[in-house]
Amino acid sequence: MNLVRSEFLKIRTTNAWWLFGLGAFAMLALTFLINAVGAHYSLTEPPPEGAGPQVSATYDEVYQAANLYTSGQFFGLLFVLLLGIVVITSEFQHQTVTTTFLTTPHRTAVIVAKFVAAALAGFGYWLVTTALNIPATIIFLNAEGFSSHLGDTSVIRAIGLNLLAYVLWGILGVGFGVLIRSQIGATVTAVVLYLIGTIAGAVFFSLIANWLDWEWFEDLQFGLPSIASGLMVSGTNIPGQPQYWVGAVVLVAWVAVTGVIGTMITRTRDIS
Amino acid sequence: MSDGQIVVSGLTKHYKNVRAVDNLSFTVEPGRVTGFLGPNGAGKTTTLRMLLNLVKPTAGTATIGGQRYADLKDPLHTVGAVLEASSAHKGRTGINHLRVICAAAGFPRSRADEVLAMVGLTPAAKRKFKGYSLGMRQRLGIAAAMLGDPKVLVLDEPANGLDPEGIRWMRDLLKSLAAHGRTVLVSSHLLSEMQLLADDLVIIAAGKLVRQGTVTQVMDSMAHSAEVRVRTPQVEELTSALAELNATVTPNGDGALLVTGVDAPGVGRAALKAGVELHELTVERPDLERVFLELTAGKAAIR
Repeated sequence: MNLVRSEFLKIRTTNAWWLFGLGAFAMLALTFLINAVGAHYSLTEPPPEGAGPQVSATYDEVYQAANLYTSGQFFGLLFVLLLGIVVITSEFQHQTVTTTFLTTPHRTAVIVAKFVAAALAGFGYWLVTTALNIPATIIFLNAEGFSSHLGDTSVIRAIGLNLLAYVLWGILGVGFGVLIRSQIGATVTAVVLYLIGTIAGAVFFSLIANWLDWEWFEDLQFGLPSIASGLMVSGTNIPGQPQYWVGAVVLVAWVAVTGVIGTMITRTRDIS
Repeated sequence: MSDGQIVVSGLTKHYKNVRAVDNLSFTVEPGRVTGFLGPNGAGKTTTLRMLLNLVKPTAGTATIGGQRYADLKDPLHTVGAVLEASSAHKGRTGINHLRVICAAAGFPRSRADEVLAMVGLTPAAKRKFKGYSLGMRQRLGIAAAMLGDPKVLVLDEPANGLDPEGIRWMRDLLKSLAAHGRTVLVSSHLLSEMQLLADDLVIIAAGKLVRQGTVTQVMDSMAHSAEVRVRTPQVEELTSALAELNATVTPNGDGALLVTGVDAPGVGRAALKAGVELHELTVERPDLERVFLELTAGKAAIR
């Protein structure tokens, strides 16, 4: 517990958390606006003629409500990931890792405390994001003449799993930061993988699936942590996509793998 | 305060192609300041880092009060270490740096203020670390090491970057800590400073122990290299008299000779026998710097 307090104090006494928070807030405002415009059209107009079942399924009140309540997830998770990375890489960047391990020679305990602190930070980001999304969505849906859907199980489920995503991405960041110790290297790699890797992965799996006519191959894109997170918070099931819980399982698996590898590396690494 | 002895035994560290530390053994006693000397690249820092569980030894052990650092129940109460002056987050204030350590170790927050006052940094408590001078950074490092009021202090090049006043402050602090029964192990290559500060010496080169003992013992072990300075108006007679005793004689100008290989009484006797008049006869004890350079000569630092 002392260690978690110490790790959390480390986050609070430097600038990264509020800078990333500011970034997440700006992206939240932007994505909410885009989602709201999208919702306005998809809720007031029928799906375009000839649209596939995947597109038609998004012309649904509950789907759109869940989407609005979890606005900002894509970039929010990126900033939580970066914060998790900074939690560990700043120790190497500023050589404070020496002091940290002198204070606590049990390195596993230190890494676990970092996981918890990053998860707590993720929780904080989710709390602020959700506290902004809920009133904004209620106002928007009421203005459009729909009910808020806030009591719907699938909406609550989406909001709850969104919390899980924020928490897990914080941990994922710490695990990633252990693998790439350089602060600039780790953050740049993470941003590139997250932004370009997500799109490239989705395109790659779809193209191969179409080319070889392997439909199952397209589902492999949900193995990517970012796409899995999006799946996890969808309010309704989209035809042709795995169930929401598959996303949660995939993400937990990623976190478990990076967490275990990260801890093992940290335990044996020479600090010099 | 009885259990602050450091015992290094057969300590070895191999990196890919280098034996950074090679079967090194020595002990460090409580109540004394021990200087840990060696040329650059001799393995001083690696040894200290193995002692503190930061680097895993290839072989051998290092214990503090009979326990490995990793097994210490209360590491900060046992050992305070200052390893590098730049080890604080540049964007964090000095006081917060100490509070983070307090939180992890379970010390009260007020302890951070106390040690900061002890090293005279209170006015800079709320300044960010990037605004600290090198000397202030060293002081902050010492403050961090003193948080747990430890029995053992390990310092790697603590005098680096300190001004003369800071060096004097450090010397007085370390001496008084040792006088209170603590173990103080200080690595340095500032030899003149070590001569003023240390009671004991551990000298290593190329990862191996070269000498261990009290400062006097180490100096005496090199007494054979002590020079005798002699001045005479009859330079040639004395030179040939000493040559018979297999002494090395180097003219030092103004009728003075530097003699090695024969001690002062020997030079006096030789002069008397040869009927040579002497105007000066003094033993020039080697200083630590010369002893150090002779002990580590030829053990190349770059490996």
